[in-house]
Amino acid sequence: MKVPYVDDKPTQGGFRTPSDDDLGRMIRNTVESWKPQRGPDWSGVLIKLANSGPPAWLLYTAASAALVVILLAAFLVGSALQIGALGPQPVPSNLH
Amino acid sequence: MTEEGKELDPATEFRQLYDQQYLSVYRSIRGVVLEPAAAEDLTQETFVRAYRARHRYTPTAPPGAWLRRIGINLAISYLRRQKLARVLPARLYTPPDRRDYDRAEARDVVTKALATLSPKLRAAIVLHYYDGLTREEIAAVLGVPAGTVASRIAKAVAIMRKSLGSDQDLGPERSTSEGALRGR
Repeated sequence: MKVPYVDDKPTQGGFRTPSDDDLGRMIRNTVESWKPQRGPDWSGVLIKLANSGPPAWLLYTAASAALVVILLAAFLVGSALQIGALGPQPVPSNLH
Repeated sequence: MTEEGKELDPATEFRQLYDQQYLSVYRSIRGVVLEPAAAEDLTQETFVRAYRARHRYTPTAPPGAWLRRIGINLAISYLRRQKLARVLPARLYTPPDRRDYDRAEARDVVTKALATLSPKLRAAIVLHYYDGLTREEIAAVLGVPAGTVASRIAKAVAIMRKSLGSDQDLGPERSTSEGALRGR
């Protein structure tokens, strides 16, 4: 009986690509094999919550409000004490 | 698949929600970042953020999908930061220790195939095949149109099939010793 000859080089880019069902099963099996090493740690969540500062939006809002207050206070103080650019400016004597 | 029983209210039953959803959120995040340690940290961070926002949760989607949305977004931001860090001068950037990942995961062909995808494609694939979400649900989680999800899944499947196919073609079962009798 004749045996058909098949080249012994492996075929690249293959006709053995998995079907959609196989691919889905492979992905599910792989993902389901993933187990966390530390596992659920509710106390860790509570510690993180206790240690974390205020939320970013609150921090930025407070910082912006503080900046506005500082700038306003500087303007009022500068104009009241007539210091810096808010003080009286010398008038050139050659202008009439 | 996720083991979701009754839907819990994040505002009043957050602790139970944490126990119920921890594993599936972890796996979804790990599917995007592919690093076990980073995935655990990001899972904890997901629940911290969700806890802070628990009173703002609106039941338009199940709490599991809401948690996954937070987690996937955190994972994608994490990878973006990692990518940005790589362009910093070497002195400022300390690369993560990937030895554990390389040892444990490089042997796994599916994980290797997932690693060839971009994080956004990985997110779509994991949400579709592991979490079993529909395109519309994935679209809601990722904040993109359903058509974009469909094209991401199709693209990811094509890349993964090619990657898995070439891995298997080069595997030991197609070694040269059995060449002469193959094809019968």
